[in-house]
Amino acid sequence: MRTILQQIIRGLLLILGVTFVSFLLMVWFGPDQTYTLIGKNATADQIAEVHHQLGYDRPFSQRYLDYLGELFTLDLGTSNSSGEQVSSILKRTLPVSLALMLPGFIIGNLLGVVLGMIAAFRKGTWSDRLITGLSVSGMSISFLIIIIALQVLLSTPYGLNLFPVRGWHVEDLSSYLAYVTVPTLSLIMVTLGYNTRFYRAVFVAESSREHILTARAFGASPATLMWRHVLKNSLVPVTTRILFSIPLVVISGSLLIETYFGIPGIGKVSFDAITSGDQPILKAVVGLTAVSFVLVQIVADFIYRLVDPRIA
Amino acid sequence: MTWCKKIPASWLLRLVLLLALGGCDVGKQATSTKDSYTVYRHSMDGAPSNLDPARASHIYANFLAVNLYDTLYRYKYLARPYELEPNLAENLPQVSSDGLIYTIRIKTGVHFIDDPVFPQGKGRPVNAQDFVYSIKRHFDPATGAQGAWLWQNRILGLDEWKKNGSDHGQEVTGLRALDYRTIQIQLISPYPQLLHTLTQGFSAIVPREAVEFYGRELAVHPVGSGPYRLASFNTAGAVMVRNTGFRQEPFSLANEGYNPALQSKYGLEHLEGLLPPFMDRIEVEFIAEDAARWNAFIAGELDFIKAPVSQFDQVLQSRDPLMLKPTLADEFHFQASLESGFVHTDFNMDDRRIGYHPDPVQNARNKALRCAISKAFDWEKRNEIFYYGIGQVFPGIIPPLAPEFDPDQDRTAIKRDLNTARHLLRNHGWNAGNLPELEIGFTSSVTERQMFEQFRSFMADIGYPRNKIHPLTFATYGDYAQAFLNREVMLITTGWTMDYPDAENTIQLFYGPNASPGSNTANYNNEEFNRLYRASATMQASPIRTTIYRKMNRIVIEDCATISGISRKLILLWNRDLAMLPDRSFLGGHFFRFAGRGESNEKNKARQ
Repeated sequence: MRTILQQIIRGLLLILGVTFVSFLLMVWFGPDQTYTLIGKNATADQIAEVHHQLGYDRPFSQRYLDYLGELFTLDLGTSNSSGEQVSSILKRTLPVSLALMLPGFIIGNLLGVVLGMIAAFRKGTWSDRLITGLSVSGMSISFLIIIIALQVLLSTPYGLNLFPVRGWHVEDLSSYLAYVTVPTLSLIMVTLGYNTRFYRAVFVAESSREHILTARAFGASPATLMWRHVLKNSLVPVTTRILFSIPLVVISGSLLIETYFGIPGIGKVSFDAITSGDQPILKAVVGLTAVSFVLVQIVADFIYRLVDPRIA
Repeated sequence: MTWCKKIPASWLLRLVLLLALGGCDVGKQATSTKDSYTVYRHSMDGAPSNLDPARASHIYANFLAVNLYDTLYRYKYLARPYELEPNLAENLPQVSSDGLIYTIRIKTGVHFIDDPVFPQGKGRPVNAQDFVYSIKRHFDPATGAQGAWLWQNRILGLDEWKKNGSDHGQEVTGLRALDYRTIQIQLISPYPQLLHTLTQGFSAIVPREAVEFYGRELAVHPVGSGPYRLASFNTAGAVMVRNTGFRQEPFSLANEGYNPALQSKYGLEHLEGLLPPFMDRIEVEFIAEDAARWNAFIAGELDFIKAPVSQFDQVLQSRDPLMLKPTLADEFHFQASLESGFVHTDFNMDDRRIGYHPDPVQNARNKALRCAISKAFDWEKRNEIFYYGIGQVFPGIIPPLAPEFDPDQDRTAIKRDLNTARHLLRNHGWNAGNLPELEIGFTSSVTERQMFEQFRSFMADIGYPRNKIHPLTFATYGDYAQAFLNREVMLITTGWTMDYPDAENTIQLFYGPNASPGSNTANYNNEEFNRLYRASATMQASPIRTTIYRKMNRIVIEDCATISGISRKLILLWNRDLAMLPDRSFLGGHFFRFAGRGESNEKNKARQ
């Protein structure tokens, strides 16, 4: 109970810190939306009017307190650009981003674990070098190049012309698979290198521990060694990486994927809000990301205790 | 799909295949599953964020707004030059002899779409009071409207109405509904462009119930009486479906200004007598990325594209005459049209380093410097490198698409003349040591930076030290606009899209009282120009007015207040099975209702 309380207090402090710094940056360095919302030939009075409507003339402290109040009550206001309720925007875009990113996230991590394990188990051999080399290559290629290349290769008459180039007209499982495949492949290609390198490093470190040597001396098979001893004992860093990626996947989405594939998710909404200075959306995204991290931290702590009783 | 079976069945590929199998079945069907009804798939290179007509300031929002709502007037679909045509209005207005009172009757039997804002959810008839309310909204601060400038200081009592608190219960003397169908607009002084303003999305008619019900969310819940109603709208696109209650007005080629000599190739004859809108559904995709837009078009997922400049190499067979590559010409219709606007670089005349100066000698030196910079600017190279050499360079501020454009005007101002530029500098005592530091403003992008570097190289040819020309970059257009509207940018490059086919719309960009934060970003203030502007402002289109406009154009050129300009050429491509003539300028989104397809014609005939 005491631990949970401590975590909640830590979490609240984290939320306060993150929201304060973010809000400070938004107010001081973010674009002044007044000039994108005024019409042609605006007069000084009209500019002042819009400035006032956006609340820019109110004291910082008051605006920040209002922000905390909005987060607490989940009354996130309306977008300055579209006039739509921020909660409606989130409700509409979050499921799309989740459906878009989840397959790539899961497959990317699973493949990363498997390839990392193969590379770690065969450390120093040609297969390790091949996997590591491919991982580095994958990390070196621009995400944009991967997206455009896959679009051309899989979705246009210049290539195989099998999938839609873009869009998100998802009505059933088959249309979902049609629209999610190329974005998923792009995501896997770009994240696999990073994942594999990370998991390989974790498994290599674990493989050199004394208990692995002991298991090997006892005659444990390679599969038993890797799955039962190395993977199980590496679950803390693996869990940490996966869990702490979730808020970014869910809330930030992937701007490039959503933009190039024409998918109406939260990533594009967030990006537009950043570039236009749409503070109600930005505040909501930042706040929710902070809250998600706190929740993830609590869940992660719980999982750590499950997978490694020494932490408990 | 046989290729799916040929893939080696390794475990890794199986995993990918699992996803791909679904795609093999339905991948390319995504856009054809709607074949039971007619769909037109349009692409835009930008996205609207707001569909409230009062905030439809961008071409993208305007395109949708005029389909979801009704405007009193529009332009004839096919007539060029553009001609006004009644839309919701019954006829062209009755105008009093002094040009101050406009009386407009609206059509009967026009209903708003069904929506929960109305009793029993049934759309009620549109009436004159709705128009009055919709214009007043622009003067109500609660709306956050962007179109007030069109009617500011124009309509009797409207500005006072705002000053008195924008109470919708209060009447405005100059904006009244005389009865259920009759609108009367009383002007402060003649406003020849008034009818043009009533074609724009800004003037679209909104029911008060919807504004009160949805509040700011009207932006995503349009309730209008246009040919389409909104089915969905997000950052990636919008879907509009036919408004089944839209008034039945048979399409007439003659009435729309059809020119068989130029337009017979578009298959429009088949539409004669049918009832717009011809499509059941319009899908508009917002695709800012050139590569993605082009790939989607080539893959058959779009019916229309404004070809990106980066693809002109793949699209055009020749530039003069402009011809499409044969492979594309077999599949697509093509039209090359000039944009209804221009790109120009203004000198901030408020900046004493380059603009007006209280000391007459320095003032003359500054003018010589501006003229030297203009003379050193190489429009030919600018056009060649950034606009594929097909843009139209012209001198001054009346772009080619304006009816008052003079194709025979003197082009000296846009011819590069390094000797004259050097003489101007030398004769006015400018040298590498005393030339002022130039700051060129632009939003941060690769293309803008390349343009800046090109500008710097042009200036190097007249001895302007490269280290004296600096970029002043801004992360977003909003930041840039903030800076130049606050007169903080020395050289301002902007584009202006004309709101209506009347050169007044570009000439006002240099009218003194419109200085920043108004649209005169050059802060140009020439008494003779201002006098001529005021004189022409109340004149209807006529040869005399055109002469005055052209004189004002020459004054701006002689003062070297701007380096101007170029109108870009737009290459529009659309599927050959479509019977339509798209438009990106004054007609804009109004053309959607006339976009037809072979099968839609049959269906349309059946409906009649």
